[in-house]
Amino acid sequence: MQPTPPSRRISGRILTRRRILQLSGLSGAGVLLNACGAPLYSNQVSQVSEPLNQRVEGLLLRPQTPVPEYPVSAITPDALLINSFNGTPQIDPATFQLTLDGAVDRPMQLSMAELQAMPLTSMVIRHVCVEGWAAIVQWGGVRLQDLATLVQPKPEAKYVYFQSADNYYESWDLPSALHPQTLMAYQRDGHQLAPENGAPLRLATPVKLGYKLSKWVTRISFMADLPDQQGYWEDKGYEWFAGL
Amino acid sequence: MSNPTASAQGPEKSPEKSPEQPAKKATKKAPPAPQQALFSKIFHWVNLISLLLLLTSGLQIYNANPVFGGRSGWHFPALFTLGGWLAGGRHWHFAAMWFFSMNLLIYGIYIFITRRWKRRYASSSDIQVLQTGKNPKRRNYAWHRVVYTAIMPVLVLAIASGLAMYKPAQFYWLSGLFINWQILRTVHFITVPIVVLFTLMHSLLALKVGQFRLVKSMFT
Repeated sequence: MQPTPPSRRISGRILTRRRILQLSGLSGAGVLLNACGAPLYSNQVSQVSEPLNQRVEGLLLRPQTPVPEYPVSAITPDALLINSFNGTPQIDPATFQLTLDGAVDRPMQLSMAELQAMPLTSMVIRHVCVEGWAAIVQWGGVRLQDLATLVQPKPEAKYVYFQSADNYYESWDLPSALHPQTLMAYQRDGHQLAPENGAPLRLATPVKLGYKLSKWVTRISFMADLPDQQGYWEDKGYEWFAGL
Repeated sequence: MSNPTASAQGPEKSPEKSPEQPAKKATKKAPPAPQQALFSKIFHWVNLISLLLLLTSGLQIYNANPVFGGRSGWHFPALFTLGGWLAGGRHWHFAAMWFFSMNLLIYGIYIFITRRWKRRYASSSDIQVLQTGKNPKRRNYAWHRVVYTAIMPVLVLAIASGLAMYKPAQFYWLSGLFINWQILRTVHFITVPIVVLFTLMHSLLALKVGQFRLVKSMFT
């Protein structure tokens, strides 16, 4: 194009056409790449992509097919990191009551003794955190499926809402909640669940990301509609289905 | 079009003009500018943009828990990340993945049906040239074809390892191929430096083989 000598002569403080093009190219790249702490259009992007992703996730879930498990020797106790948004509530298991209510025929409250008298399901599965790490964990507890059989959800129940002692809250699709490996767990790696892991009762499943697995669960409600508050992290911008 | 060495991509058709000649006179005598199939150009554009979005949003996700060193590991500077925080990075990543994977799938069907994979991708003759060839132009052309052929399985690996991490329970058989979670994460991440390195080599080789005319033909 232009021979180089003239444009060299007028460099300095004068903006040449080349310089303007260079600058516009840089700022264009900046708009695309430089997120710098702002969730650049990610909410708009998710409004378009999430309905599709959620639909695909729902289709991929095989609601009554167990996910293959690991041998006990594969358990990685140190890999399970502790995450909590608001500390560790101390709950006395002797007085603890789990409330089951909502769109059910027989709402009830169950003590730990009553829960532990129910059939114990043990599984060794991979626990996957949204942050990217994963751990092989043994969980033991009561199938949510068995609790649902007790309280008899009404036909209109499509969602399950979990409330925790630390005010954490989560909502699930019913098929994932009734998956045979979705447990209300009170054991981890063969021992009684520790308070920082969610004692006395927490959610465990191989089919959802870690932030769906509420600790210190005190109330389980079956619901016909999704509430406005869908979950602690979901309300901050994370995806709702979060299937694995 | 059916003979790859005679195609517009080949070094034989590169302009023979001497550097001192004014550009305007040369264009009249030069062979016709290289032409790319519309389908290839669309694939190239969508691939380039979706990969850029996947790479930058992927580094954002990486930063939530670095593959190497965990939470205390080295983090990528915000300049190279997209989404602002983990949730935003994931939204971009799981939106761009559709464009990237569907584009690659459609392109795969296209090159299979038109048999372009036989003509436009590296073959045994390119390998032979690299082993025994003496013509430097033909050798460059062979390198160019080998390099852009080699990136294809890497792109497929990026999708396979990504899917294995995105849905490890439903695709447990796919996740199982990667032995354990750390290897799976490492394989998926390794595709980033490979793609960056490829972009550099691919650009340089394209310029070497067909000068700016060839590069322009793929973008316009």
